[in-house]
Amino acid sequence: MAHANRSLKNILLRHEVLLLLVLGCEIAYFLGFARNFGTADNLTNIIRHSAEIGLLALAMMPVIVTGGIDLSIGSLMGLCAVLFGVLTHDAHMATLPAAAVTLAVGLAAGAFNALLITALRLPPLIVTLGTYSLFRGLAEAVTQGTKTYRDFDPSFLSLGEARWLGVPFQAWCLIGGALFYGVLVHATTLGRSFRSIGFSPEGTRYAGISVQKRTALPYLLSGLVAAVAALLFTARLRQARADAGTGYELLAITAVVLGGTSIFGGTGSVYGTLAGIAAIAVLNNGIGRVPLVLKAGIGSELAALCTGALLLIALAAPGIGRILSNLGQRRAAGAPSAPKLEKN
Amino acid sequence: MKRSRFLVSLLAIPSLLVLVSCNKSEPAAGSGSGSPGAAKKLTIAFMPKSKGNSYFVACEKGAREAVKELGVDLLFDGPTNTDPAKQNEIVENWITLGVDVMAVACENREGISGALKKAQEKGIKVVTFDSDTTPDARSFFVNQATPQGLGETLMDEAARLCGEEGEFAIITATLTAANMNEWRKHIEARLAAKYPKMKLVDTKPCDDQKDKAQQETTNLLSANPNLKCVMAICSPAVPGAAEAIKQAGKAGVVKLLGLGLPSENKAYLKEGVTQSVILWKVADLGYLTIQTANAVGQGTLKPGAKTFQAGRLGELTIEDTSIILGKPFIFNKDNVDQFDF
Amino acid sequence: MNRYFRELSVAAALALLLALLAVFAPHFYQPQPLLSRLTAQMPTLVLTLGMTMVMLTRQIDISVGSQFGLCAVVAGLVSAGGHSLALSLAAALGAGALMGAINGWLVAWMGLPSIVVSLATMVTWAEALRLFQQGKFINLPAGVQWFGLSQTAGQVALILLGLSLLAGLAFLLKNRAGGRHLYAVGSDSEAARLSGIHPQKVTFGVFVAMGLLVGVAAVFNLVQSPQVDPKCGTGLELKAVAAAVVGGVAVNGGRGNVWGAFVGLLLLATINPALTFLHVEAYWEKAIQGLVILLAVVADGLRSKRQSP
Repeated sequence: MAHANRSLKNILLRHEVLLLLVLGCEIAYFLGFARNFGTADNLTNIIRHSAEIGLLALAMMPVIVTGGIDLSIGSLMGLCAVLFGVLTHDAHMATLPAAAVTLAVGLAAGAFNALLITALRLPPLIVTLGTYSLFRGLAEAVTQGTKTYRDFDPSFLSLGEARWLGVPFQAWCLIGGALFYGVLVHATTLGRSFRSIGFSPEGTRYAGISVQKRTALPYLLSGLVAAVAALLFTARLRQARADAGTGYELLAITAVVLGGTSIFGGTGSVYGTLAGIAAIAVLNNGIGRVPLVLKAGIGSELAALCTGALLLIALAAPGIGRILSNLGQRRAAGAPSAPKLEKN
Repeated sequence: MKRSRFLVSLLAIPSLLVLVSCNKSEPAAGSGSGSPGAAKKLTIAFMPKSKGNSYFVACEKGAREAVKELGVDLLFDGPTNTDPAKQNEIVENWITLGVDVMAVACENREGISGALKKAQEKGIKVVTFDSDTTPDARSFFVNQATPQGLGETLMDEAARLCGEEGEFAIITATLTAANMNEWRKHIEARLAAKYPKMKLVDTKPCDDQKDKAQQETTNLLSANPNLKCVMAICSPAVPGAAEAIKQAGKAGVVKLLGLGLPSENKAYLKEGVTQSVILWKVADLGYLTIQTANAVGQGTLKPGAKTFQAGRLGELTIEDTSIILGKPFIFNKDNVDQFDF
Repeated sequence: MNRYFRELSVAAALALLLALLAVFAPHFYQPQPLLSRLTAQMPTLVLTLGMTMVMLTRQIDISVGSQFGLCAVVAGLVSAGGHSLALSLAAALGAGALMGAINGWLVAWMGLPSIVVSLATMVTWAEALRLFQQGKFINLPAGVQWFGLSQTAGQVALILLGLSLLAGLAFLLKNRAGGRHLYAVGSDSEAARLSGIHPQKVTFGVFVAMGLLVGVAAVFNLVQSPQVDPKCGTGLELKAVAAAVVGGVAVNGGRGNVWGAFVGLLLLATINPALTFLHVEAYWEKAIQGLVILLAVVADGLRSKRQSP
């Protein structure tokens, strides 16, 4: 009886379940108090506005699960957007082949990150910090900083507003991405090996798994996804410029970590990441609709502040619990105990 | 134990929000569905290019003055970061919030036009200010000065300061800033057409930061010893460039002009480091924008009008669909004390 | 020689760049602009020193740019209120120490990853500052700039202060037990714990020290001009991390020193003026900086690969 009770409690208190609870509270609150939050049009807005960041977060998740990080995806989005503009406008290519080349270049850029990280065994944080500057720098150099590509093919631009079966095109992309990553991470041995690499690369190697090759894959994919996000972004914004995706890498990391993926690697789930994306997107959309916030005109600032605070609380809450329970134990056992300092 | 603490603390956030909202004061929900009777209370949404920018803070002050005068509801929001999609998102959110009129200073001329057209389709009136979108996506543009007028004023003033000959350099905000690129285009066109003895040697971005502008100007000054003039076309760049010229001991030798707020440049103007600062009355721009938005929303200002009675600003002329605020001012050490923004 | 190979090779790259400038753009060496340029780097140098310490303990702090802006505004408001520079320095140090302590508490005592903690505090401080200050410049009273000295004296004083901070910290890190503890914790915190070091205390202390240095850096910035720009911290965290990385400080802890970070900073800070002097268009700047960072880490990777095949 007590045992069953306990396992039920464990399920209920999983990070993802708690996050869903927070999401539910957010939605309930905004439905009750925020102006016109629950309309179909607004739901469409929430999805359309978070599709690119959502895709980047999905791609970032397995990278972080293997114990790495990819700071370059926002910059790569800028580079791919500009490249697509160059191909369609300056090189007069048709939309489809231009999109294909853009995707290929995204993949190649991901491969470049992967090569440096796995073949040379360099720290991902620093490699992608370098490519973060490099990719954005190349985007600026190609456009001389100033050029904006406009007037894309109307059928391409219509994707930005398109609906299939009443659902916006961006939602289908997110669903596709989530299914792909869901299968990859949760239903294949490959995905299992991501977690085992994040947990212990050495141990994984001794188990006969080629750690370097498998670590490379998430970076390759994140390059590809950054290119997809760049195309979506261009279709939605109807323009391509070197500043596309500025700061998106940090938003993606926020969503992933909020979704329960450990930044040290080893644990993480696609549905947690999706819940993380949703929690941030709903907060961003809803907080600007609360009457008091509307009146003060501080929607954007408050949304960013609350996202930061939510991240901190989500991170710190287990730690606070642990310290409190440690205190309890210490009082009970009369012996000092300190939490183990984790490494970055 | 530990998890339940987590649960409690997570539950605490929404309940805090509920508490906050208990003393909410609901403004009249300005839905577009009200009957178009005379002088209804409008909800006007007002968006700067970026928040936390002293130029648009001054603009907002003027806007709030007009809001008080006219008794309309104001929604105010804008981007806080450099994400180029943020303005579109705010416009699309405003559509679902149900506002009557939107007034937007556009960061992306083409990029935002789709979202603004969507608003028009829903019966929301759109005006733009400061920088325009495509003409079919708004009814009026509140224009402080045309890019051409501004570019020519800057170039003419620079030519006057250095006697129509010599090298000059430009400090801009970022290389991607759309309206500054527009100004640069007109500066260069004017240069080519009228001042053959002047030469633009370099253009540097300062990332909208004073300190970076100072470093770039220090470099420009020593890399180009014949430089006679620096033109700083974003507001933090003017005091930054002034400090660099002062530190290099070239005050008065290298002329400095720019677009900026008088309050940020007063000291340098008086010391003779900065010669001219060009700007319109920013608060008036915000005031006029709300006046225009209200008149468009009430239906008293219709396409084709030739003049507009704008509250305390009196009667202003309309050119095509642009309402012109008036010529930009040139502030110098003699008149800077008369302005308080 | 071999021990300092990494630092020396960065110094060689810097020397090469300086030699190029000497040949192609001798104007670069005019004394006054050089002095101004060096002075302008002093706030970033102080941040880089702090970042080196943080990275030595195998942590990172990407909130320093936001902290810097907040400290600068706090110090600026105190000065603008007519109080002495000492009081505004104290205010900046206090604000910095408080923010550093928050980061440090979350990282050291809660065991949270520093990159995520500082990501969250970066956003929080930046938005709080934006709400509070709305981008308005703070005009400082006369007598704050250059500590009330003449311009040249003030610049020399500031550079000397910066360099003595560098030398002092280098000495502490190399020759004092407290300094060696950073390396011990960064290399292997468990081993450090077993040998009697308290990793939590060291980590917490490093973040507080980082905050204090941010306060110092903000005041170094304050005295250089008669105004405070509340956006002055934007992007500084990346400059500090990049300088440390190029200078050979390992992101996974325990390796590197402040001299290397100093040379790394000088190299990165020379690239920008070099582009102006060699008349390269400004839009190449970011790409070239990215390449330099990548070259530095690739060199690291190849070298460690050769050493342990």
